Amino acid sequence: MKKLLFPFLAVLLMFPFGAMAQTDADRIVGVWEPSNGKARVKIEKIGTKYFGKIVWLKEPTDPETGKPKVDKNNPDESLRNAPLKGYRMLKDFSHKGGNEWDGGTIYDPENGSTYDCTITMKDQNTLDIRGYIGISAFGRTDVWKRLAVGGAK
Amino acid sequence: MQPLRFLTLLLGLQAGLLYAQPDSSAVEEEDYSMYDNLGFADAGAKRFCTSKVFDLSPQKLISLGYDFQGPYSLEEPDGSKTQFDYSHGERLQFNIPVLSRNDVIIQLNVNHAAQRYSGAADSAAVLGRNLLERGLRTTGLGTTIFKPLNEKHFILFQGSADLSGDYTLDQWQSLSLLRYSAAAIFGWKKHDRLMYGFGLSRTYRVGEMNYIPVFLYNYTAPNRKWGAEVLFPARAHYRRTYNARNLLLLGYELEGQSYRMNNSQAYPYRSNTLEPGTPNVAVLNPDLRRGELRIRAVYECSLKNFIWLSVQAGFRYNYSFQLDDVPSEFFRGFFGNQPYAMENLLGHTFYSMVSLNLVSP
Repeated sequence: MKKLLFPFLAVLLMFPFGAMAQTDADRIVGVWEPSNGKARVKIEKIGTKYFGKIVWLKEPTDPETGKPKVDKNNPDESLRNAPLKGYRMLKDFSHKGGNEWDGGTIYDPENGSTYDCTITMKDQNTLDIRGYIGISAFGRTDVWKRLAVGGAK
Repeated sequence: MQPLRFLTLLLGLQAGLLYAQPDSSAVEEEDYSMYDNLGFADAGAKRFCTSKVFDLSPQKLISLGYDFQGPYSLEEPDGSKTQFDYSHGERLQFNIPVLSRNDVIIQLNVNHAAQRYSGAADSAAVLGRNLLERGLRTTGLGTTIFKPLNEKHFILFQGSADLSGDYTLDQWQSLSLLRYSAAAIFGWKKHDRLMYGFGLSRTYRVGEMNYIPVFLYNYTAPNRKWGAEVLFPARAHYRRTYNARNLLLLGYELEGQSYRMNNSQAYPYRSNTLEPGTPNVAVLNPDLRRGELRIRAVYECSLKNFIWLSVQAGFRYNYSFQLDDVPSEFFRGFFGNQPYAMENLLGHTFYSMVSLNLVSP
């Protein structure tokens, strides 16, 4: 028994347990609401990067079809039938350090455009999401608020 | 055996977590109802309306355009004529976001427009010859501020200072000749497809300074195939949306400015600062009150990502091309009876404009 246990412990220690642990960078994880209140986005850590998917829509049904909204403006035709709920609109963010996550993109389902994006945590319940084209000056910042069970409506 | 089983389970769980990489935008099965009853973690958080409705034509961050007008004529009060074969010029616009947040958006606007004339003028056609020689230019600096008050109400402010005249780049006009325009609107954002508002503007769009009420109305139909983009009376368009990257606008825009004609020779007409019946005198440095209505069709499409092409064609209807001899700005309005120093007849014509644009997120 002890002979078997030792190799398992050795292998286990080779895995980066630290990556699993809640780190300072994981403060961004949670459910957030963009300023327009039309959606809720769940930011989660997958691997070493951070992603955000739409988990709630104020108007989940397409008034034209009467069916759940799909990503009909996606420039990739093969994705135009993908449900918006569950769609990863934030992708590939890394923690730059301090209160900033960068290197990712944000997707706008309203027009099918993807923008470079930087996320800055202003306080534990507020994110500045800046989408831009090429350089940060050509961009727009949206303020997202953290949501919680039992929070203010 | 128990520790061994536990370690095996833990190892498998960890490996699964670490190497379950995302499949791009793949949809995962999840009980989304758990997100229905969430609220703000910060009790002081507030929602604001946005400055757009669905499918609004894209706002241009940078616009490089070229305007071309077909043949038309100009007749001055003494009957002397100028025949323009065409007029043309560049249209440049920069709309730089200075502050872009959900609770306020502030933009800096820079614009430059030139109109050069080609044709032939009678020897007595002083205005025509001056236009052929120097053309007209407008260069301006302005700001647009959108201030949402909450989810339903907003304030929109636009202000600009423009230098308009027959100056050239090496013979600039004094900044004391800047003309100031402004508009303030209080609006309602009813939902994601409708916003409207009422306000007041000081404008030169009819050629001379005027104060007029304004009405903002941006609407998109439930089927999102069509809509309206109106800032009355400055412009109004019906919008047909083919998809997120192709649209057609049908409507009109009022264009105009007051141009200081500083570099011309004296205009041999009566000054409107004189009493009726006074003999004609030479008019120096008059203001050209130019106002025109452009009835047009505009097609806009995305060439690649955020680079958009805009092509417009239509009819340019002349509303005003009069000269005022004024020592200082004054208000004539639509019903004022102050005489012009020189009343000209400018012909109408067809026009077209093409621009390449970098559009806003």
